Amino acid sequence: MSSRISSTMNLGQRALANSQTALHTTAHNVANQKTEGYSRQRVEVQSSPGYGHGKTRIGNGARMTSIQRVNNPYMERQLGNEKSKMGFLNGQAQGLMRLEQVYNEQSTEGINTSMANFFNSFRELSTNPESMAKRIAVKESGDLLARDFGRVNQQLHAIRGDANSQVALNVQEINAATQEIADLNKRVQNIEMSGGFANDERDRRDLVLKKLGELTEIRWAEGEDSTLTISAAGNAILVAGHEARRLDVVASPASGNKSEGDYDVVYYHSDRGEPMVITDRLKGGSLGGVISVRDGDTREFKNKMDAMAFEISRSVNEAHAQGYNSFNRTGEGFFESMNSIEDASANLKLRPAIIGDVGRIASGLEQNSPGDNRVANRIADLQHSKELFDGNTSLVDFYKGMVTELGLRTNNINAAVETQAGVVKQLDNLRESYSGVSVDEEMANMIEWQKQFDASARIIKTADEMFDTVLSIKR
Amino acid sequence: MRVADKMNYNQSLGNIQKNRSDMLTYQAQAASQKRINKPSDDPLGASRILDSRNEIKGFEQYKRNILSAKEFIEFSEQSLGQATELLIRAKELAIDQADDAGSGPDTRKIVATEVRQLYEQLVSVANRTYGDRYVFGGYKSTQTPFDMAGQYYGDDAEVQVQIDRSSYMAMNIPGSIVFMGRKHVPEMIDGQVVGNPTSLSTGPKPPEVRGLDSVEGDESAAAPHIGTKPVEPEGHWGPKSVNIFEVLTELEYGLRANDKTIIQDTLTTLDHSLEQVNLARGELGSRVSSLNNGLETLEKLNVDHKAMQSQIEDVDMYELVNNLNKTETQLEATLATSGKMMQKSLLDFLR
Repeated sequence: MSSRISSTMNLGQRALANSQTALHTTAHNVANQKTEGYSRQRVEVQSSPGYGHGKTRIGNGARMTSIQRVNNPYMERQLGNEKSKMGFLNGQAQGLMRLEQVYNEQSTEGINTSMANFFNSFRELSTNPESMAKRIAVKESGDLLARDFGRVNQQLHAIRGDANSQVALNVQEINAATQEIADLNKRVQNIEMSGGFANDERDRRDLVLKKLGELTEIRWAEGEDSTLTISAAGNAILVAGHEARRLDVVASPASGNKSEGDYDVVYYHSDRGEPMVITDRLKGGSLGGVISVRDGDTREFKNKMDAMAFEISRSVNEAHAQGYNSFNRTGEGFFESMNSIEDASANLKLRPAIIGDVGRIASGLEQNSPGDNRVANRIADLQHSKELFDGNTSLVDFYKGMVTELGLRTNNINAAVETQAGVVKQLDNLRESYSGVSVDEEMANMIEWQKQFDASARIIKTADEMFDTVLSIKR
Repeated sequence: MRVADKMNYNQSLGNIQKNRSDMLTYQAQAASQKRINKPSDDPLGASRILDSRNEIKGFEQYKRNILSAKEFIEFSEQSLGQATELLIRAKELAIDQADDAGSGPDTRKIVATEVRQLYEQLVSVANRTYGDRYVFGGYKSTQTPFDMAGQYYGDDAEVQVQIDRSSYMAMNIPGSIVFMGRKHVPEMIDGQVVGNPTSLSTGPKPPEVRGLDSVEGDESAAAPHIGTKPVEPEGHWGPKSVNIFEVLTELEYGLRANDKTIIQDTLTTLDHSLEQVNLARGELGSRVSSLNNGLETLEKLNVDHKAMQSQIEDVDMYELVNNLNKTETQLEATLATSGKMMQKSLLDFLR
């Protein structure tokens, strides 16, 4: 059996169509060169089954089987995991860096300075307890110290406030991501049920999934029906099939490591179900990082500041109350007395009586002894006294320890961020190496396919001429 | 390895950013001249700097304390110098009047008036004020320590001033000790009482205000009884302690009574008085010299700490400039290669 001219023509036409599709795909790749998460696509071409028998079986051109993306799901999952870790570290690093700024006394003056000035003002007073000027200096330095504690308290409060807005924002982003994934689930399923490949939808879904992972630690699996099921915080299912469940934030009451008004993240099992608080179970991602700094580090350092303010107030008052002031009165404190350590840094204040009249500052142990400076000396000695904090440490060392601790933590996190950034970069490169678009490659492909297009056109033209030749035989 | 275009871009961008971030760090260091700009730059170094700043602030305060104490002590010493002169004059007068050669009841009466003046001048020396406080009143620094009868209204306290992290120095000598020869009972041993919480509970001593009424019944008050020997045999500076006011009163009494024996007796007690005042001056002098030593030590420590601080936090300019240059070169190289790499494409060769 021999070939027919019309068959050759058909073959040429199919080849022409193939190269056109391939050129189109090349164009699609080039256009998406900068698209985040895009995987290059490739036209799969197979030779068509031939016809005829025996030794003259004739080939019948090429046909397109599919257009598929070049993508390695395992690599994508690994990249997603590492990006999630990166998100967590970034969340922590941002919080810690702000926290660090509160205690940064490298270029400005802070608690360390105002504390030294405060105790030194009592040393100065001890040289001349009769002097009004020195008493005023003591009052001023005490007031500055109290205000400095107030400033730190406010700054820590502001950091918590920012962390709360960050939590709310992250939850919004999570909701947007889960909704988009649920929509993409539907589209991917529709496309793939009919046997196609949802290349671009899957690229997009992978990308959103990674972004979701950066926000919080998630677990996910792809079902037989091509949909992703995603859960977070243990058993909170965020996406199942075409549905996404929303997270929400509610202001929490003050308890444990939370202050009044801190945002809790809640999850609803069903539309009408009770909200379930999952804040403490949200471990990873930037949301986890922000929460860990808010409820962990910031809280811890606020507690330490409170403990310090309380200890200063307690010990100074104790010494001060032993003394007699210029009006021969004894038993009075220097700072306003406080009942609890909670919020002591915000509540540290001089007694109004002392602000009103510096003669109320007690400097001596004996009454009618304006030159007695023993109480001033005792208060000055509290600066380095190791008897404070239940005999554990001194004020100076306590504060120093705090700053060192914070510096070390920030330093460690910064180092971890750098390392993790390296890991992510490496994996990103691997992914791009496999799935990314290379313009050179696309250009080469383009030329190849264009050549094929030209050649296929020529075949059609030749077949046409052959027809003409055959038709002209009868003339 | 297959290279996608994005890898090129990412790589170039990453390198440029790394260089730029290094540049920023070095620029910040150059601007502040500090290697440590926040605690996390070097947590342990930052902690040592906090320590050192605290210490330096302390040194400055101890220096101020020493200077105030020194001024106060020097003023006390000066006052006692005048007391010495008064006593020398009194002794001259006593020697002149100790025998009957060239003196009789009339001259002794005139001399007695001068001795009375010396006594009054001594009271005014003992009531000297420095600034707004009486120098010889102990803690009772705002009330006149001595009245004209030589009655003391101050107390025996020494005002201790902190002169370094762990030691104190008394800046006054109570009038009861230097003028009345009263024994000093140290309340503070090496200044350790201060800051020791257990001593707080002992509370203040009962006030030592002695009104004129209480004088009779109070033996320790050393009330000036004319003609008596010094009441306290053992004073601050040994057994020779005397009440100088009483000595002068006795001399005046002897002169007025024209009693040679009493005048002769006062020669010894006047010697003891002089010795007592000079010993006090000596003690003040030695305090000043140890304060000077303390000042020197503080200066030295101050310099040491500043040097240490600088070593920890200040940037090494040579190294910094070197690093800056290196990073700049790197940045230029990165920019140049990136520019070349990103331009090149197969497209350039297609026509």
